[in-house]
Formats: sequence, C-alpha cells, structure tokens
Amino acid sequence: MEVLQVVGIGLIGTVLAVIVKERNKELAMLVSMVTGLAIFFFALGKISAVMDVLENLATRADINMFYLTTVLKIMGIAYIAEFGAQICRDAQENSTATKIEFAAKVLVMVLALPILVAILESILRLIP
Amino acid sequence: MNIELIFQIAGIGILTSIFHTVLKQAGKEEYSFIATLAGVSIALIMVIQLLADLLTKVKSVFFLS
Repeated sequence: MEVLQVVGIGLIGTVLAVIVKERNKELAMLVSMVTGLAIFFFALGKISAVMDVLENLATRADINMFYLTTVLKIMGIAYIAEFGAQICRDAQENSTATKIEFAAKVLVMVLALPILVAILESILRLIP
Repeated sequence: MNIELIFQIAGIGILTSIFHTVLKQAGKEEYSFIATLAGVSIALIMVIQLLADLLTKVKSVFFLS
C-alpha cells in the first residue's frame, strides 16, 4: 500500500503549504516544491525498475538500443519539463511554464529527428 | 524519501513570520525584510541540493547523458 504513503506526503505538504502561505508566499512555494520532489523520488524508484525490465526485453529481442534510449530520453525530458512547468504554474508564472514546455518540445523533436530520417530512408529504399 | 525537509521548511516559514512580526512591532522594518530574505535563502539552498539529487537520478534512469 505505497499509495497511502504518497497520499499522506501530499496531504501533509498541502496543509503545511497553506499554513505558511498566509505569512510567506516564497517559502510556501518551496514547501510545495519539496512535496513534489519527495513524491517524484518515490515514483522514480519504481520507474527505474520498469526501465530495467524494458531494457532487458529490448536486448533479448535484438532491438537496436539506439531507438530504446531515444524513447527513454524523450520520456525523461517530458517528466522533468512537466515537473518544472508545474512548479512555475503554482507560483503564478504561467509564461515561464509555457516557455519551459516549448523548449522541452523542441528538445524532444531534436531527439526524434534521427528516427524520422531512418524511417524516410527505409521508405526510399523500398521505392524502386 | 526525505519528508523531514517538508517539516523543516514549514518550520523555517513559521519562524521567519514570527521574526517578521516581532521586528515589525519593534519598529525595525528593514531588519524584518532581511530576516525573511535569510529564511528564504536557507530554504532555497536545502531545496536546490534535493533538486540536484533528483536531476542526477533522472539522468541515470532515462539515459540522459
């Protein structure tokens, strides 16, 4: 029942953030950020186990590791960017959050470009 | 997991608010601002260390060189 731990951390963090917010908005933001970090750390431990299984399956199926690492990198970028953007949005900095998301999308596109090129090359090889 | 840090930062927040009130009552407005700033900086240093830990862990899990 690890979900109970996560919910407990979230509720405690929320109550403390609301208490501190009346007096000190900056520290309330830091409290909610640490709550998010604690929950994220918790989830990351589980994700790393899943990633090990995926890697194992990919090596068994003889898939080129380049494609798997690209997908994993894209997932990592998405997680980090989402985390940062949510913190910015909590502090009513919507414009910064939008810019973080934009930059993350560009970085994902840069990572996905080699795969797109590979697909196009294989299609060109099929056309006589 | 480090839940203690949540309590520590909330404690810093309550403590700095008390300092703020006391210094304001004593008529030292400029010192009250500095006390708040110090509290925020101390908390920020603690949070940034945790954030660096998180980023290194994310890097190792998702193969982000």
